[in-house]
Amino acid sequence: MEYLLVHFPASRRVKVGNVFQGKTEELIELEAGTYTITLDEPPINFTPKKQEVRLAGTTPLSPREVTFAQR
Amino acid sequence: MRNARQRFCFLFLCALVSACAHYPRNDALQSYRPEEGYRFDALQDGDNTDSLFLCLALSGGGTRAAALAYGVMRRLDEVTITWKGKQRRLLDELDCISSVSGGSFTAAYYALFGRRLFQDFRARFLDRDVQQTLFHRVFYPGNLVRLLSPYFGPIDLAAEYYGETVFEDRTFGDLIASGRRPFIMVNATNLASGERFDFTQDQFDLLGSDLATFPVARAVAASSAFPILLSPVSLFNHPQPPGFALPDEYKDAEQDYFLNRRRYQWARNRLSLLDKAERPYVHIMDGGLADNIGLRAIDNAYRRGFIRHRLNDGLIEKLVLVVVNARTEAQDEVTRMESPPSLAFVAYKTATISMDNYSFETIEMVRELSAERVKAQQVVAACQQRLAERCPGAPGLPTFAVAVDPHVIELNFEMISDPQRRRYFLELPTTFALPRPAVNDLIAMGGELLDRSPEFQQFLMGVVPKR
Repeated sequence: MEYLLVHFPASRRVKVGNVFQGKTEELIELEAGTYTITLDEPPINFTPKKQEVRLAGTTPLSPREVTFAQR
Repeated sequence: MRNARQRFCFLFLCALVSACAHYPRNDALQSYRPEEGYRFDALQDGDNTDSLFLCLALSGGGTRAAALAYGVMRRLDEVTITWKGKQRRLLDELDCISSVSGGSFTAAYYALFGRRLFQDFRARFLDRDVQQTLFHRVFYPGNLVRLLSPYFGPIDLAAEYYGETVFEDRTFGDLIASGRRPFIMVNATNLASGERFDFTQDQFDLLGSDLATFPVARAVAASSAFPILLSPVSLFNHPQPPGFALPDEYKDAEQDYFLNRRRYQWARNRLSLLDKAERPYVHIMDGGLADNIGLRAIDNAYRRGFIRHRLNDGLIEKLVLVVVNARTEAQDEVTRMESPPSLAFVAYKTATISMDNYSFETIEMVRELSAERVKAQQVVAACQQRLAERCPGAPGLPTFAVAVDPHVIELNFEMISDPQRRRYFLELPTTFALPRPAVNDLIAMGGELLDRSPEFQQFLMGVVPKR
């Protein structure tokens, strides 16, 4: 399995594809592959609106990190 | 002259009945509603917690498998646990069942009628000679004529029979209306692609079809449509309804040919149903052809479905997967013969060898998946501890939402220590007509296997109050 870590200044639910899975600053475990990541809304106070990530070769100690900035 | 006219009338009537005989058509989906329909997320959890998440995989194997599954479920109903401060029967925590062939009868009956399973399922199914009744039904004059139609086969008769005598003609709409878990994934095999086909609205969305009006008995018949003996169940592949939008997971997975071939193939196989011009019909049969233990559907939910979503949301603390495998070993018979086996025997083996070959591998795959999670949790915890010791005050490492305690429990006849008893169970035939003593033995053995399982006992230590 692969590991994803999403950063945002506030705690927010993370949406992977069409489904909420976990929260920011927590390890999210997914199978290897391509994913569209965004955050729960409203408020839409984050940028970019969504990000596509490719998960491969991660470990729980070195997850793929994705950052959303506050607008 | 009069006789000739009567004969003509009779033949004309037969031709008319035969021409009218058609398998029931699965209904088109009127609108796309991804939050509704027979999906795990659409069912209420009620008193059933997510934090203790229990799923059963019920294998194929005719009445042998159905009775063994019944025995395991009866034992789960007898076990009292304490979870989150509440006492309850373990069976009340059952969240999902994935089933194949014989196991699908027990799974669907429990999903429809709950604890009534322990009152009348034996009389309705386990103790019946289903095969003989089906055989007789074929020879009813009306049915013989219907079977002349190319659009009506023995499996359609079987589905009618199961509907009348076992499932009270209930549909998946009744399961939706009950709103309660367990969610069942009745598995069949797509004859064209060889892929697993499950009777869930997620699958039916791609057929543009509404599972709510589909008879449960027909799904179970498809799941147990043993090759050669029974014809496949046929489904219309309808146009997609207005408003249909392909979920992101499929679009993303289609890019994963080099990154994750398993995910890519899963998406490609499912999306092939959207090619309505090339595939206007889908013919499905025995789920055992794709996976004879029913674990693949749970594996799919674990990797990318409702189990994965709940793990990442931190809702599941204990994950318990029980595989009830009624596999037998009748190979000695052929190795004792000097002459080459008959064509019928070869046909039977051809249809069943692949069913069993991958079962062991599937179980190991799921075991490895759960062990990987445990190891990941241990690594993070150990590093966190080292960090705290060596760099006090350093910010903590990111952790999982919850440390999950997974248990993968396989029950099969090879666990029986007494060689004679083991041999007895391993040689029980795959049939829908077992003598009552054999059914009794299987039910008792279901509970015994569960009690014998070290993994099950280990799980119980955390949920059964100490005396």
